[in-house]
Amino acid sequence: MAEDLVLDTAIRDWVLIPLSVVMVLIGILRYFVSKLMRSFQVPDHKIVKEGQVIVRARNLRAAANFIPPKSFRSRRVYFSNEENGLLFVPKGQAQNAQAQMFSDPNMAMDMMKKNLSMIIPQTLTFAWVNFFFSGFVAAKIPFPLTQRFRSMLQNGIDLSTVDVSYVSSRSWYFLNLFGLRGLFSLILGEENATDDTQRMMQMSGFGFDPSKSLGAEKDGLDIVQHEWALPKFEHRAEAVLKKIVS
Amino acid sequence: MVSKTEETQLNSLENQVDNGGGGAWEYLCLVRKLKARRSEKVLKYGLSILNDPKKRSALGPEEWTLYEQVAIAAMDCQCLDVAKDCIKALQKKFPESKRVGRLNGMLLEAKGSWGEAEKAYSSLLEDNPLDQVIHKRRVAMAKAQGNISGAIESLNKYLEIFMADHEAWRELAEIYVSLQMYKQAAFCYEELILSQPTVPLYHLAYADVLYTLGGLENLHTAKKYYASTIDLTGGKNTRALFGICLCTSAIAQVSKGRNKEDKESPELHSLAATALEKDYKQRASDKLGLLTSALRSLKT
Repeated sequence: MAEDLVLDTAIRDWVLIPLSVVMVLIGILRYFVSKLMRSFQVPDHKIVKEGQVIVRARNLRAAANFIPPKSFRSRRVYFSNEENGLLFVPKGQAQNAQAQMFSDPNMAMDMMKKNLSMIIPQTLTFAWVNFFFSGFVAAKIPFPLTQRFRSMLQNGIDLSTVDVSYVSSRSWYFLNLFGLRGLFSLILGEENATDDTQRMMQMSGFGFDPSKSLGAEKDGLDIVQHEWALPKFEHRAEAVLKKIVS
Repeated sequence: MVSKTEETQLNSLENQVDNGGGGAWEYLCLVRKLKARRSEKVLKYGLSILNDPKKRSALGPEEWTLYEQVAIAAMDCQCLDVAKDCIKALQKKFPESKRVGRLNGMLLEAKGSWGEAEKAYSSLLEDNPLDQVIHKRRVAMAKAQGNISGAIESLNKYLEIFMADHEAWRELAEIYVSLQMYKQAAFCYEELILSQPTVPLYHLAYADVLYTLGGLENLHTAKKYYASTIDLTGGKNTRALFGICLCTSAIAQVSKGRNKEDKESPELHSLAATALEKDYKQRASDKLGLLTSALRSLKT
């Protein structure tokens, strides 16, 4: 029984639009604050070296067929040697990376700052929305939904017979949260601190990054079969020259 | 390295500006982007923009990048007063900047006061031990002072950390070649080929080094790399063509009597010779006689 509820246009004027405007402004504010607060992070000597080692190992894997077999083999040993190979990470060390990250005061402070700049505005805005804009139907979603979404989208509305398409302002808040990301990248350029979801995904995969990729590179390197491509080139050169000369 | 289209674009812009057609600012931006070394022109046109207060204010925040560019060009042309003025202007605007500190170090280097420059760079490195440009400037200083072994040492240390920097590998290879340490040079060229396998320049240089090292296996490998250079450049590289002829004759000499038949490319030598003759006929026909006699002596 989907009766059409007629929503007051005043809702649109005083709820939906101000909420969006406020979120955009808060996002811009956060961007500038994060720019001011950004401490210059001195890149750690070891991490830079590891990054470069990975690039070099990857180049070796990609272009292995261009260098003579002897040089390839000596390089492979250099990288994956059991004792002092660059890519070889003994088992014990691998786990320490994340623990080290948290005990290092600078990095912990940095992550704390980033977290705070993300969490506080979100919390505040959410509380504000809840306080002012709850208890009424804010909008109607244009497509029909199942009953399961009721608890999520209709939080302030205590009537169970209202169609699930009618949602509260809390859901408008969440919609804005995820949707304004595109708008921000348009206004503020690529690098903006409002990319919360991206940052959340990045943080979960941070700690193990260096040692795991080293191990992955080492395995990849061990697998490579060296097939020297140069002899083929002689034939190709012949063909090229034949074409020129004739 | 600059690609061919970019180079032609740069040259055409340069011609345009030379002949009074305007567009100096675009030229300077392009030079900066491509990191080309055209210091005289940069100095001339950069100064003309900077000395005209109207044009200078039209640049806005880019003005400071222009100051930096002109300062470096001035140091390259040994106009040290111009450089000092530019650096002073920059220092007024950005008093605590690392970039300005680096320019100061470069000025000391240009003046020839090596000790002070070394001190300046060391203090900058203390604050920021992973600054690539400063490390490279120290290597350049050692090289300019003639202290080649010191340059090699610092370059090796630099490469231990930043091993993906192919320009550094290239510099190291050239230093080794100048010192005739060909095995090490070969290693560096292999690194370069690994990182950029489609650049014929590195194949050619590697082949040269292998040919110079000598020995049957190296000669065979060198021949293969000359062939790959020919393939990558479409047969236009004269040096590679010569390389093939020389390699073949050297191999024939070394394996005289052993008759290790060249099953891989029997015709490569004659094809290369013919291509060379054709090229010379087109471009330097008066030298054709010399070429044919040289090739004939190689064939025996």
